[in-house]
Amino acid sequence: MEPTSLVARVLAGDQDAERELYDSHVDRVYRLIYRMVGDGELAADYTQDTFIRTFERLAGFRGESALSTWITAIAISVVYNGQRKVKRLRAREVDLEYADPVATPSREADPDLKVKLARAIEELPMGYRTVFLMHDVEGYTHLEIGSALGIQEGTSKAQLSRARAKLRDQLAEYAGDKAS
Amino acid sequence: MMDDREDRLDNLIRDAARDYNAPPATPRAEMWEAIRASRDAARTEVRPLVVRPARSPLRLVFGIAALLALGVAIGRLTVPSRERASPTAAQPSLAASPEAAPSAPEQRERGEAAARYATDDHLTQVETFLTEFGTRPVAPEFSAQAQDLLTDTRLLLDSKRVVDPRIRKLLEDLELVLAQIATLDPRAKDRDRDLIADGLAQSHLRTRLRNAIPAGSVIRL
Repeated sequence: MEPTSLVARVLAGDQDAERELYDSHVDRVYRLIYRMVGDGELAADYTQDTFIRTFERLAGFRGESALSTWITAIAISVVYNGQRKVKRLRAREVDLEYADPVATPSREADPDLKVKLARAIEELPMGYRTVFLMHDVEGYTHLEIGSALGIQEGTSKAQLSRARAKLRDQLAEYAGDKAS
Repeated sequence: MMDDREDRLDNLIRDAARDYNAPPATPRAEMWEAIRASRDAARTEVRPLVVRPARSPLRLVFGIAALLALGVAIGRLTVPSRERASPTAAQPSLAASPEAAPSAPEQRERGEAAARYATDDHLTQVETFLTEFGTRPVAPEFSAQAQDLLTDTRLLLDSKRVVDPRIRKLLEDLELVLAQIATLDPRAKDRDRDLIADGLAQSHLRTRLRNAIPAGSVIRL
């Protein structure tokens, strides 16, 4: 079905169309959100919020970008807003008993590449991290990323380049024998 | 040579990054159920009958005091700032023109705007509290915080300015959950907390809360 007619059906109050729209996009949205937050419960919450907001705002969709890109933009906005709250909340947690072991690794530990990479990705600025995950991990194009984040395609490319450079710096020890 | 090494490292990073926060299968059905519940709640305007727990006289006194405080706060928000800035300007004057006084619809509009502001602020605080409640072991401060939020919830429910049926239903559901948390024994095991958290999840309360809070609302922690 053409996206425009599906949108029209949703706007006319057709609940089957709502489900159809949800089914068409939910996997992609959930995957991206999960990559960004790494927590099943939060990812589900944010995905739900994304679709509720999508349905509420659908009348404002003008078709200037693909519907999938428009929904991705909403998803990213939901994640950014949600993560700001989570960050503030976690900053208040002073009890080490509940500290996240990945976030505070032992200095003596010798983590493998994936653990070091995970930490390096967490340390990237939010914008770099989002572009890196969208492009290099989830396969979005720079055009899609630019539309979803409200930035120029060139900015997306530049942010990816900087993100990769930061990750290379963090993982320089793997550039020799392990990278060959 | 250097570029070659960089490319190889980039490839290595890209391959390893596929395992970073690798998503599980999408929980389609569960999420759809929550979305439908929220959409249905938004569509319906029917208020279910809610039995409120009995109020003790002491609570009533605290409630009245808090209501007065809320009234003052709403009054401060609704009175134009220049009137507050200059006490003499607020004095009744024979020369004042009748147009200077806000009309009844204007006053009602201001009152409703103040109530919306107070409601948004309150819902933001409740959402933060419930998120914390769901992610931490039972702590003594939860009960006191829930009591405070419960009082404010009831004040908002008693206010005629809160007219949106969706918000009123949300406040009624919050009232029940906050009452449960307020009476939760701090020595209770996490299992008791989990029972309340399960109830929260089933009623999709946090999702409904987040959707009721406009983007950009103040976060007070």
